[in-house]
Amino acid sequence: MATPAKTEPNSPRNFLKWFDARWRDSGMWAFALNRLTAIGLTFYLFLHLGVLSTLARGPEAYGSFLQLIKSPVFVFGEFLVVIAGLYHGLNGIRIVLTSFGIAVPYQKQLFYVLFLLAVIGSVIFGIRMFTV
Amino acid sequence: MLSEKSVPKTGENVWIWLLKIVTGVLVIALLFTHLVINHLVAPEGLLTYQEVVAYLSNPLVAVMEMSFLVIVVSHALVGTRSIVLDLNPSRGLLRLVDGLLLLVGVASVVYGVWLVQVIISQG
Repeated sequence: MATPAKTEPNSPRNFLKWFDARWRDSGMWAFALNRLTAIGLTFYLFLHLGVLSTLARGPEAYGSFLQLIKSPVFVFGEFLVVIAGLYHGLNGIRIVLTSFGIAVPYQKQLFYVLFLLAVIGSVIFGIRMFTV
Repeated sequence: MLSEKSVPKTGENVWIWLLKIVTGVLVIALLFTHLVINHLVAPEGLLTYQEVVAYLSNPLVAVMEMSFLVIVVSHALVGTRSIVLDLNPSRGLLRLVDGLLLLVGVASVVYGVWLVQVIISQG
């Protein structure tokens, strides 16, 4: 956990300490990443639902939409979605297990394994998405 | 924090917390199905317009995609509510947020059902 601060933790004097992650618990990282990816995935969900309305406008509209999202900017955006989805889903497995009292004493190790899987999965998807 | 169990937040009904967990598991299963069909079955990596129409014209697929919509939107909105709860909202503000989230949820599902109907009618 964070070293005890002499001044108010949120005071501007301690502003730089917000970014000093050295003494923080891995749980803080797991939580912060879970929340960050949650916000990104929620944004993507509604964006995804919205753009599918091109299907209601016929084959030409949908066809040009498919062409548009093959550009590198959109592929990169999709790659961010893949990273967020892999992390959020795999970390979510840990949350589900511990919610029912399973593997609670080993959840630090479990987190590291699931995080590693998310990294490996992201690299595989990255290679496939940017080379094929 | 990792030494503790995941438990309902302050102000979070135990059923809402359970809904978040259960829909989370279902999202993993349905997302996998959704992605395999949409990207691995299609030759170009994405379904063309005609393929989408044919795909959704299968009643089992339409039911699966609609269930996925309800479940993933529920998970996203309950999750959004969790973030709001961490900001210590007043009771009035929380009620307002609950109303807005419910509205977004219902609107998303109505939109999804409408869109699927329109797509199927093209077949």
